[in-house]
Amino acid sequence: MNQERIYQVVFGPHISEKATIVAEDNSQYVFRVASDATKPEIKKAVEQLFEVKVESVRTLIQKGKTKRTQRGMGKRNDVKKAYVRLAAGQEIDFLAAE
Amino acid sequence: MQVSVETTTGLERRMTVGVPAGEVDNAVSQKLKETARRVRIDGFRPGKVPVSVVKQRFGAGIRAEVLEEVVRNYYVKALTEEKVVPAGSPSIEFTKDAAGEDVEFTATFEVFPEVELAPFDGYEFEKSSAEVTDADIDTMLENLQKQRANYVSVERPAVNGDRVKIDFVGKVDGEAFEGGSAEGQSVTLGSGQMIPGFESGIEGMSVGQTKAVEVTFPEDYGNEELAGKAAVFDITLHEVAEAELPELNEEFFTAFGAEGKDLETFKAEVRKNMEREARTALEGALKNSVIDQLVASNEFDVPSALVADEIQRLKQQALQQFGQQAQFDVNTLPDEIFKDQAERRVKVGLIMNEVISKAEIKADDETVDAYINDQASVYQDPQQVIDYYKSNDEMLNQVKAAVVENAAIDHILKASKVAETVVSYEEAIKSKNAAQG
Repeated sequence: MNQERIYQVVFGPHISEKATIVAEDNSQYVFRVASDATKPEIKKAVEQLFEVKVESVRTLIQKGKTKRTQRGMGKRNDVKKAYVRLAAGQEIDFLAAE
Repeated sequence: MQVSVETTTGLERRMTVGVPAGEVDNAVSQKLKETARRVRIDGFRPGKVPVSVVKQRFGAGIRAEVLEEVVRNYYVKALTEEKVVPAGSPSIEFTKDAAGEDVEFTATFEVFPEVELAPFDGYEFEKSSAEVTDADIDTMLENLQKQRANYVSVERPAVNGDRVKIDFVGKVDGEAFEGGSAEGQSVTLGSGQMIPGFESGIEGMSVGQTKAVEVTFPEDYGNEELAGKAAVFDITLHEVAEAELPELNEEFFTAFGAEGKDLETFKAEVRKNMEREARTALEGALKNSVIDQLVASNEFDVPSALVADEIQRLKQQALQQFGQQAQFDVNTLPDEIFKDQAERRVKVGLIMNEVISKAEIKADDETVDAYINDQASVYQDPQQVIDYYKSNDEMLNQVKAAVVENAAIDHILKASKVAETVVSYEEAIKSKNAAQG
């Protein structure tokens, strides 16, 4: 996988209450990723970007909300999120990795 | 808490203060918890932000804030413990400030110098009192008359004391220079308003006449390009007016705010004013000489922080004197021009404080009242002035300070040798002007 694709796959960390909890309890980190990204791609990208060993990747697509506007119905973009579980003893410090 | 004070140079002290780690870290985590309850971060419900996230985001800032507070408390505590009084604010530097370890900081500041007053009895002063003679009053009356003089056109050559209306063109080396020409200018001959030689050149001219007057600019003339140069002024005389002095009558007296109807009462009033003026002038001169003596015979270092403060104050004063032009920034002025004056002022302040505290001088109500009455007697309606002073705390404090200062000066004078002399009114006024300059 080439360098360019890495930056296209991972958009950035997804920060929320749930993300904080899983990071502490399961050493899982949540990312927003490209909607066409595959699990193996995400695994490689995270490994290269943060120099860690990834154990597994789970993904989901959060459907965008439909919004009514004056010009009829609108729909927000879907968001693909990836829960990346790191190998035991590894962690990602987002502040340091910026 | 460990504190150690060392002397670096002169008045400068360096204080090293150690703060136990627990104290700082407890305060930090306390603050973090508090912030977590308040702060809003995207992705978290209000109040549900974990402390770890808050720490990651705001940790450094909060720690700095806490440290600042801790330093402030410990600095004051250390000062009272070591019994040092700083002059001005300290500059604080952290030598150790890692999280989880003892914090240590050094505060560098200056202390007030210990003023050891030299004994006063070696001082010698000249206390002068002025005598207002009848001749002085006559001169004053004449001056007052001149102020009110009417000018009446006359048909005769100009003499000294006349007011003339002239056009003139000034030339240096045959060329007219900037600001050297005017039309319809009024000049009073003998008033010294123009450069030397100019006014005396007009004397003897009659109306309509044109004359070339040769003059030399004085060496210390304001315009450097012209100073010391020879110039020729082509002067045309348009009008000669003779000064007509007003009569010394009731109208004249009331114009100067006097109530008396005859010459004698007016003279008495003038005499009273002149005596007061001479007295304050001489008192001021004496006070200055006392202060000069004090500064000269008490040598000590002055804390530069205080001098810097004083320089700022002088700059503000200078700004007000310049008429507060909007574009003028006082901070562009170099500090050096104010430095000597500021140092002297700080020194005088320190010495006076020492004198006052040594002699235990206090302002009692009686002297304060007397001082205010004295100040107020100059005005038309003294009672109004007195009420104003008394209703205004700030003014009252200023008066008290002045009274205390005067008392301190008196205290010094009592201890030192004072020679009494009598001077004329003119000399007294001159000494006042000299003291101001």
